[in-house]
Amino acid sequence: MKVVTGVVGNDIHVVANRLIELSLNARGFEVFNLGVNTYLEEFFDAVVETGADILLISSLNGEAEGWSREIKLLKSKYKNLDNLVMMIGGNLVVGSADADTIVPKYKNYGFDLVFHQVDLNTGLDTLEEFLKERDK
Amino acid sequence: MSLLQEERKIILSNEYVDNFDFAEVEEFVKNASKDLFISHHFKTIDKMLVQPRGGFPTYKKQFALNEFFVEANVDVLPLTIDSNTRLNDYATAKKMLRLSEENDVDMLNGYPLVNHGYRNTRKMVTHFNKPVSLRHGTPDARLLIETAIASGIFEIEGGPITYLLPYSKNFPLDKAFLYWKYVEKICANYSKLNEPINRESFGPLTATLVPPAITIVIQLLEMLLSLEEGVKSFSVSFSQTGSMNQDIVMGAVIRKLSKHYAEQINCGDATINLVYHQWMGAFPTNKDFAEQLINMSTVIASMVGADKIITKTREEASGIPTKEANAKTVANTQYTLGILNGLPNIVDAEEEEILTLEVHAIMEAVFNDPADTLWRKVFNSIKNGIIDVPFSPHIINHNEMITIRDAKKNIRIIKKGNVPIPDRCFEYEKAQCDLTKDTTSIVNDIIHDIGIMQ
Repeated sequence: MKVVTGVVGNDIHVVANRLIELSLNARGFEVFNLGVNTYLEEFFDAVVETGADILLISSLNGEAEGWSREIKLLKSKYKNLDNLVMMIGGNLVVGSADADTIVPKYKNYGFDLVFHQVDLNTGLDTLEEFLKERDK
Repeated sequence: MSLLQEERKIILSNEYVDNFDFAEVEEFVKNASKDLFISHHFKTIDKMLVQPRGGFPTYKKQFALNEFFVEANVDVLPLTIDSNTRLNDYATAKKMLRLSEENDVDMLNGYPLVNHGYRNTRKMVTHFNKPVSLRHGTPDARLLIETAIASGIFEIEGGPITYLLPYSKNFPLDKAFLYWKYVEKICANYSKLNEPINRESFGPLTATLVPPAITIVIQLLEMLLSLEEGVKSFSVSFSQTGSMNQDIVMGAVIRKLSKHYAEQINCGDATINLVYHQWMGAFPTNKDFAEQLINMSTVIASMVGADKIITKTREEASGIPTKEANAKTVANTQYTLGILNGLPNIVDAEEEEILTLEVHAIMEAVFNDPADTLWRKVFNSIKNGIIDVPFSPHIINHNEMITIRDAKKNIRIIKKGNVPIPDRCFEYEKAQCDLTKDTTSIVNDIIHDIGIMQ
């Protein structure tokens, strides 16, 4: 299965991004890593270009919240993205807030899976379960 | 007009720039106090020089910071530049400087040198009469360095590779080489007037599991690019790896090889210094633990035999340090250096041999690139992965190399990508690690290895 991943916005924190790539590869996914400092349009363009099944966006400095508000509008401009699994993880706010308020907010932005300060393997385990359930 | 003069004219035609009086600047450099030149201190002082990090937006706050440092017995003053200036955005820097001055709140993460101008800054530099080291992270530092030297700042950190690969996603690397070529030429020209201007490379790179061979190769290449333009005093540097033995081995090999490669291009007359950075990775949030870590770094720097140490603070994990915390580290480091006597001489011949072979092999591959100039050879070598920096965010970097810590916390290469690590060395590196684990556990180990000091 194909995954497009990267860090959204002007965020340059690269360490987790590399680890996500390594972990996804280890789990047998085909990974297209756009790296840090990636804008929303670039993510969706890459999904179309690669025919990806999953879009995994990450954020460390919390910029994701500002960007995510535009996702529905932007996604509606592309065709055939209805089956795309949308996942986001990292530090999803600037400052602090708990997962109970953050997760519903991001689901409303259009994400299927939301991980705020959850460790990488738990996040990827959940993704694999999600895919298994969906394909039943 | 020479090409250099033409380029100079273009750089200076910018509304935020001081009106440069080059004849006056030359007179100033020619007659400047020897105390302002770190190259002079390296030659005449035997003790390890202590230099903190620090930069505030306003002249007033920077001046106050320097007073604290001098009080703490600092050897070298830092001047860290703000992020807007690093990206040549002088308009934003100007606006933020004004806001900082009017509201007494810092709106910049450093000193906007171009906006302050050389006439003002020189007053501060000559007032303290200590060497100042310029810390930035600028791919196009041409105007910044003209302004710095005119201000009396005679040590310039950075380089086309070390200021680009850790900091930028897509600034064109070939442009960075050309902009830094200008910087080297300017430094070389001013070096003829008085003591030499010292150039320093930024060895920590991404400070995340970078193997010694990669660090040393990049240090040597930036040194050669600088010396071939006529620079006469250069500092190679690296940061604490997490293993004392690996630091000592690295120090020995980089000293030996920097001399060797400088001689190869007939620049053996240049002075090469060694700079050690206290731990550059993630710091403990417990401030007392942070102080212990800093103290340990100082001990290792002494074992390495560094000529200069660059310090961290107990507030590293929480943001930009206060001037009090910053000065405290300087005083503590000086104290530790003062009581460290009778250090043993440790040599690990096997590790030194392996590392030396690795560095020679990569350097040879770079030199064998068919391009006509050194900077093009280096550019091509980065582009095709002969040089690969773990955890660089830049699109040109290969990201094929994977490193991990062995049981003694040495950084080892377990996947080499296109980097020409000789077979014997690669087998040795891998033999130190437990590679029977599955990839998921190895990723967990890497996460642990990055955060070992926390």
